[in-house]
Amino acid sequence: MEVLNADGYRSDGRRQFELRSITIDLAQHGAADGTATIVHGLTKVFVSVLGPREAKLRSLTIHDRANVNVEVNVAAFSSGERRKRAKSDKRVLEMASAIKSTFETIIQTNLYPRSQIDIYIQIIEQDGGLLQACINGTTLALICAGIPLVDFACAVTCGVYANSPILDLTTLEENDIPNMTLAMLPKTGSVNLTAMESRLHVDRFGDLFEVALGAGRVIHEEMKLAILAKSRMLVAEMKTIGWGEKDLVD
Amino acid sequence: MSIIFPGESAPANHVNLKLGPGLLQVSSIFNDASDGETPRKRPVIIATKAGELKHSVKGSQWWIESNSRRYVPVLHESVVGLITQRLGEAYRVDIGSAHHASLDGLAFEGATKRSKPNLKVGSLVYARVSLAHKDMEPELECFGAQTHKAEGFGELKGGFVVKCSLEMCRCLLNPKHFLLPMLGRRFPLDAAIGMNGRVWVSAKNVKEHIIVSRCIEAVDPDGGGMNEDELKKFLHTLGV
Amino acid sequence: MRPPSPSIVEKEFLYNSLKESLRIDGREPLEMREPTLSFGPELGWVECSLGKTKVIAQIEAKIVRPPPERPLEGIITIHSEISPTASSEYEFGRTSEEEVTITRMLDKVLRRSDAIDKESLCILANQRVWHLRLTLHFLADAGNMLDCACLAGIVALKHFRRPEVEVIGDEITIYPPSERAPFPLAIHHSPYCFTFAFFSDATIPPVLDPSQLEQRLSAGVTSIALNAQKEICVFQKFGGVPLLPKDLLAIIDIAVAKAQGLHQIVENRLKEDWSSRTVEFR
Repeated sequence: MEVLNADGYRSDGRRQFELRSITIDLAQHGAADGTATIVHGLTKVFVSVLGPREAKLRSLTIHDRANVNVEVNVAAFSSGERRKRAKSDKRVLEMASAIKSTFETIIQTNLYPRSQIDIYIQIIEQDGGLLQACINGTTLALICAGIPLVDFACAVTCGVYANSPILDLTTLEENDIPNMTLAMLPKTGSVNLTAMESRLHVDRFGDLFEVALGAGRVIHEEMKLAILAKSRMLVAEMKTIGWGEKDLVD
Repeated sequence: MSIIFPGESAPANHVNLKLGPGLLQVSSIFNDASDGETPRKRPVIIATKAGELKHSVKGSQWWIESNSRRYVPVLHESVVGLITQRLGEAYRVDIGSAHHASLDGLAFEGATKRSKPNLKVGSLVYARVSLAHKDMEPELECFGAQTHKAEGFGELKGGFVVKCSLEMCRCLLNPKHFLLPMLGRRFPLDAAIGMNGRVWVSAKNVKEHIIVSRCIEAVDPDGGGMNEDELKKFLHTLGV
Repeated sequence: MRPPSPSIVEKEFLYNSLKESLRIDGREPLEMREPTLSFGPELGWVECSLGKTKVIAQIEAKIVRPPPERPLEGIITIHSEISPTASSEYEFGRTSEEEVTITRMLDKVLRRSDAIDKESLCILANQRVWHLRLTLHFLADAGNMLDCACLAGIVALKHFRRPEVEVIGDEITIYPPSERAPFPLAIHHSPYCFTFAFFSDATIPPVLDPSQLEQRLSAGVTSIALNAQKEICVFQKFGGVPLLPKDLLAIIDIAVAKAQGLHQIVENRLKEDWSSRTVEFR
C-alpha cells in the first residue's frame, strides 16, 4: 500500500502531519466520578474513573499512596471483524499496565493513602492509535473526576514512511509502517511513555520525537478547550439556580 | 569431621544426653542379629538434617551444623526485623521466619505509655526473640532480659542491611572468625548481626558499606565461600 | 506471599550510593552483569545467567500442517510462564504483571521483529511447515529477568539446528542428525534487550541491568531491544519518571554500543560451543 502518495496525501486524504478530527464529550454518565469519551477519527474510547475509594482487597492497599487500577475492555464489535477478546488477552493486559504506570506518576497518589482509583476503559471503535486514545481519554476523565494531576498526559501515534515522519496513524497505516506511541507532559515537554514494536533505524528517532512532541502540544490545546467548555457550562448552570459570581469567589 | 544425612543414626550416647538442632530421638526396632535374640525396641538417635555432626567435649551435647536460609525463631536469639505494619500499640515485624513477629510498643528501654519510640513502617529494628513457640506468633523485645536496658537493641538508623545465609550469621558472631576483624583493621564499622540471616552494618561512607556487603557475600559459604587468603586478595582488588 | 517492600534503610542507602555512581554489587551505573551462556547436549538448549538471575531456553521443532491463512510460513510459539521457582513473588497459575511484560516483550523481540525468516520454515506449501516451540524456564530472579529471557531466547534460536528435510514430489524425508548435518535457522538479525532503571530523584543517573533491589526501588524502567545493525525493534517506556527527549536519545546511544558488545560475546560463545561439537558436515 502506498501510505503517502506523490502529491503528499495519505489514504484518507490527510497530509503528512495532519491529525484526525478530535471530538471530546465530558458529559456525566452513571455513577462514575468522572467520564470522558474521546474520538480520534474512527477510534472511539469511553473512560470512566471511580475513586479515590477504599480498596476492595486488603492485598491491594498500599500504606502510603493510592493504588491505581486500570481495566481495559475491547468491545467485540469495535473492529472490522467481530471478535471477542478474552479478559486474559496479553495485549490488552499489557495496554492496561502501560496506562496504569503512565498515570501512577502523574496522579498525586500520595494524597490518598490506602485507597484505590479505578480507571475503566471501554474501546468502542478502533481504527489505529488505540493507546493514544486511551491515554488522552483517561487524562480527561481523571480531570473530570477532580483527581489532582501534576500535568496532562497527551499521547500521539507517529510513524515513519520512506524517511518522513507521519502523525496519527490509522489501522491500515499502523500495519504497514514502523510506528510508535508517545505520551508527553506538555508543561515540561518530557516524555512519559513510549511504545514502539517495529524495526526502525536509530537515526530516525530524533526527528520522530520532535514531530510527535509538537503534535502532543496540539492535542493538549484541544483537551484544554474541552475542559474549559465544560467548566463554563457548569458555571452557567450554577448561575441559573441562583449562584452568582460572588458566591463562587467566596 | 563427620557428615550425616537425614535418617542416619547418630552415635550419641551419654547418661545426660542433650540433643541440639537436627537430631531426634525415636524408638525403633533394633535388630541385634549377632546374638540371636528376638528383635526389641530401643531408642535410637537419628539425624533429621544433612550436615556436620558435632558434639561437646564430654559428649553430652550433640547437634548438627548445617546451613539454611529460612529462619526458625529460637528463644533469646537476636534478630534484625523489618516493621511491616502498625497494629494499635504493637508492631508487626518481618524477621524472615514463617510468620510475622509482634513487637510491643512498650518493649523498649524506658518506654512508658506516654513516651515510647515511634517506628515507621519500613524501619529496621534489632531485637531479641522473647517468645518462640511453634503454635504461637513469635514475639520480640528491644531490651536485655534481666537488665531491661537497651544493650544495643532498638531501631537501626542509617547504614545498610546485608542478607546472608544462616551459617554466615553464626560465623560472624564467632569472635574468632576472620572477616569482621579483618575489615575492622581497615576502617571503623558498626554491625548488628541478626541470627535470621540479616546483618546491619554502618560505616563512614558509601564505599565502605559496599565493601562490607560484598565481602560478606564473598565469604558466605552459600555464596562465594572464600577463605582468609582469598578474601585478602579480594579486598586488595577493591582498593583497601 | 509477597515479600515485604525494602526497608527505609535499604532505600536511603541505595539512593545515596547511586548518587555517588556506586552500585552495591560494585558495578558502574551503565555496566551490565557479564552474561554466562552454557549450552546443553541438545541443540537449542541454553542456560543464560546474568549474575544470579537464571533462565533456561529450549527449542523443539515438529512438523505440522500450516493454518490456511498462512500456507507458506512456519509457526513460532513462545511459552513463558513464570513459576514460583524464580521468586516467591510469583504465584502458580496467576499471571503477574511481570509475566505479561516478559511474554509480550519476547513476542515483540523474537517474533514481531522478523528475526526469523518464517518462510524458510515452510517444507511443502499448504501441506507441511516447521513449528518451533520456544519454552523458557525461569529459575531464579535476581533482577532484570526480562533481558535475561530475551538473551536466552535469541541465543537458543541461533544455537538450534533443525533436521535436514528432502522433498521429492509429495514425499517428505526427514534425515536424523546422524545421517545428514542439521540445518541452522535463517536468522535475519539478532535483537538484544537492554533495560534501564530510572529513579525519581533527578540527580541519580539511570542504571543499566538493574538488580532486584534497584528494580523494586526504581521509579520505572525503559527497555530497548535492538540489533547490532543499530535498528531498534522495541522501545518501551511505560510510565515512570518523565524524561526529556534528549535523555531518551542518550540512552538509545548507550544501548547501541552495548548491543554491539553483546553481539560479539554471543557470537564467540556460539562459535566456541560449535567447535567443541562433533557434527559431520557433508
